[in-house]
Amino acid sequence: MTILRHAFKLLPLFVFLLSFPAQAQEKFLDIQEIKSPGGIIVWLVEDHSLPIISLEFAFKGAGSALDPLDKQGLARIVSNTLDEGAGDMDSQTFQKRLTDHSITLSFGSGRDHFRGTLKTLSRHKNIAFDMLERALTSPRFDEDPLNRMKAANIMRIRSSLSDPGWIAARLMNDTAFAEHPYAMNSGGTLTTLPSITADDLRGFVKTRLTGDRLLVTVVGDITATELAPLMDRLFGALPPKSVFPVIPDLTVQNGGEIVFFEKDIPQTMIEIMQPGIGRNDPDYYTAQIMNFILGSAGFGSRLTEEIREKRGLTYGIHSGLMELVHMKGISLSTSTKNSNVPELLSLIRQEWQKMKQEQVTDEELADTKSYLIGSMPLMLSSTDGIARILLSLRLDGLPKEYLDNRAEKINQVTKEQIQQIAQKLLRPDQLTTILVGKPGGVTPTRVVTTLPHVE
Amino acid sequence: MRLLILLFCSLLFTAPAFAQDKIFNAESFTLDNGMRVVSIPNHRAPVVTHMVWYRVGAADEAPGQSGIAHFVEHLMFKGSENVPPGEFSKRVRALGGNDNAFTAQDYTAYFQSIAVENLETVMTMEADRMKGLLFPEEGILSERNVVVEERRQRTENDPRGYFFEQMRAMLFVNHPYGNPVIGWFHELDILNKEAVQSFYKKWYAPNNALLIVSGDITMKELRPLAEKTYGLLPSRDVPERQWTEVPPLLGKPHLTLHHPTIRQSSLTRLYRMPSYQQNKDDSLALQVLESIMSDGSTSRFYKSLVVEKKLATGIQFSYNASAFSDGTATLSATPADGISLEKLDKTLDDEWRKLLTGGVTAEELRSAKDRMQDAAIFARDSLAGPAMIFGHELITGTTIDDVEYWPQMIESVTAEQIQDVANRFLNPDNRDKKPYVTGYLLPQEEEQGEGETE
Repeated sequence: MTILRHAFKLLPLFVFLLSFPAQAQEKFLDIQEIKSPGGIIVWLVEDHSLPIISLEFAFKGAGSALDPLDKQGLARIVSNTLDEGAGDMDSQTFQKRLTDHSITLSFGSGRDHFRGTLKTLSRHKNIAFDMLERALTSPRFDEDPLNRMKAANIMRIRSSLSDPGWIAARLMNDTAFAEHPYAMNSGGTLTTLPSITADDLRGFVKTRLTGDRLLVTVVGDITATELAPLMDRLFGALPPKSVFPVIPDLTVQNGGEIVFFEKDIPQTMIEIMQPGIGRNDPDYYTAQIMNFILGSAGFGSRLTEEIREKRGLTYGIHSGLMELVHMKGISLSTSTKNSNVPELLSLIRQEWQKMKQEQVTDEELADTKSYLIGSMPLMLSSTDGIARILLSLRLDGLPKEYLDNRAEKINQVTKEQIQQIAQKLLRPDQLTTILVGKPGGVTPTRVVTTLPHVE
Repeated sequence: MRLLILLFCSLLFTAPAFAQDKIFNAESFTLDNGMRVVSIPNHRAPVVTHMVWYRVGAADEAPGQSGIAHFVEHLMFKGSENVPPGEFSKRVRALGGNDNAFTAQDYTAYFQSIAVENLETVMTMEADRMKGLLFPEEGILSERNVVVEERRQRTENDPRGYFFEQMRAMLFVNHPYGNPVIGWFHELDILNKEAVQSFYKKWYAPNNALLIVSGDITMKELRPLAEKTYGLLPSRDVPERQWTEVPPLLGKPHLTLHHPTIRQSSLTRLYRMPSYQQNKDDSLALQVLESIMSDGSTSRFYKSLVVEKKLATGIQFSYNASAFSDGTATLSATPADGISLEKLDKTLDDEWRKLLTGGVTAEELRSAKDRMQDAAIFARDSLAGPAMIFGHELITGTTIDDVEYWPQMIESVTAEQIQDVANRFLNPDNRDKKPYVTGYLLPQEEEQGEGETE
């Protein structure tokens, strides 16, 4: 058993993601844009230093926000069963072929997008591509593995119910995204999961996993010449087009509310959210630097300095820019012993206020720029990690030069701009706050006794 | 992060295709003061992961001082001669780097990932806090509160936290591994300046530390940097580790915990096993056994209990070989609806008996070895991963060659060896000689839901 000094420090991958490169004129990564004979566009970074190939792909907009209310968890169950048998291979035959060749093939669903990942040794690449092709074109969705995946998800939800952090996150989704598809439980509920059928899964594949939604990135031991025709083999048989229901845009709901769920535990979990800003906004870098100074994970941020380092009130506190296709937020997570909750909430509001009222210091600004720019090469650790970075750029509709220009844009941000964006964005009196625990001295505006979208 | 480390450990149980090759091509030498230096080349990006591992952990704490090793880890960030309190991580960050630290039973480790051009700076800072710490009074008090909050978050707030804590305490009777790394709640409050200072002075010395740098650097470049930073510190007397041992245990230790917030019942067995450094051959056989029993959905346990018999919705068996003293194995399962933990428990015994009488097939053995050897290649697809692997292994008594030639050693494991280790360490009918702890975690009795009655 190992214990980390600072649990939140490992989360900032996201920070990297939104970050990167070094010198403005140099290419940060040699990204090739390739078009297959059938017209599929792929971003490729060749790296032949290891005999490994990583392929990441997504169906844009096909995520769980489209799940029907009474079939919450549908996208999740599809992602769990696509690799459970295809064509003439049943679940065990399919899985054994993957395992025997050390092939990682998996699918995942977020609120916005449906994703897949394939990682293989070069010497097993033909089998790996064959397996992906089968999973996408002829999934079986047999009753038996379907029931196993539903049961595993029900177990996951029941197990999570003893985790106050999970409860707080669930409540935040329901509160901040109220009345919107994002408020649903993307992992399903104890009632909806059992009702999902093989026909639901088939319908999902036919209507959501279509060619016009597909984005692919590849990193590793493969050439452009080999990759191009392969794309048509893997993805060419998908239905060409789909029309999705329109999901409306949303701003963070229930600003100013303090929502309380009582749990007999010694430490209260605190989640906070308020409206934010997206990666395509011209002020995005300014907001990113502001957030980094205010509450980035790790040491040096104002929230960590004031609340953990000076007062010892918490093990971890961090804020981050949260971006979904239809919602941009600033979120904060922390926890403290029950009797400290009022003090901690008031310190958070003070830091929000201070960021609006005063300019950041020259040192804060310089250190932040230095980190955001200097840490970019750390993202280049693994083939699949790099492929995911590329995919996130594509999902956000950013150009492949985005990383090359990032340093320059970060360097242009000024103290004045940071204060302006803070004044525009930060709303210390309109925070949506979730408390799970037994906090003393706080008057909630709403008390919740049943968790929404769980049972 | 704990997950990550487990992942790296199991990668270690994995390895390469070509019989004569080393996995990582690590190099090593020892400074005059006794500090070992290891470099692991990886030239994908101009960055390095720099780690210092100390051969001291929670298992070295005196009775009544549980949690002190981890507390000292926190205080390493509260200032040294040339790095003011709270500045360490901020300076690393301003250089574009990430840093953190972790404590376990056997070791305490500090690391930074950073551009190679800044390596010397972080080595200088790390050497500064190896030389001595400031231990500012007010910093100690507030950091103690941070650690208490950390314990609340990990343990008091979720019954699963103290369930596993109690199981370990039952398995490691009279052994330091029975105490939680974070420390018992009632002992955290009494850790004071004098105690932490003396613990630090006793154990933090270059000759009790291991330096590992992975990434865009060669040993030729690293060596002079190590000599002018850590190499300047004098070696000091460090005590031999003196750990008590587990006496022969009788009976069948069993923990049942009912809790109102538990909705999903589960069963866990915790075993004491030989670690790699205690018995290399046994450990290698157990690593292959682990893969056959629990690696993926075609593994024995999952296939039998989840796919065929439908008695469980999930099952996992994992063996931890990297320990200075005893290794452990954990077998955990969640029952399918309508299946009692008692029934699941009996079925697990049957699975072991099936292995003990029938052994593993040649096909199972070949497939497991191939997978493990492939995983060694995948282990190189990471910056910090290889440094983590070497750190865990070397600090618990494994050699560089053991890591580099692990795939070849896995190749030599036979079906007979696997049956033999299973018989000696996992045989449910041999429990009086090799006791393990069984734990049932259940909803509150009056509220037992689905899954509790047959």
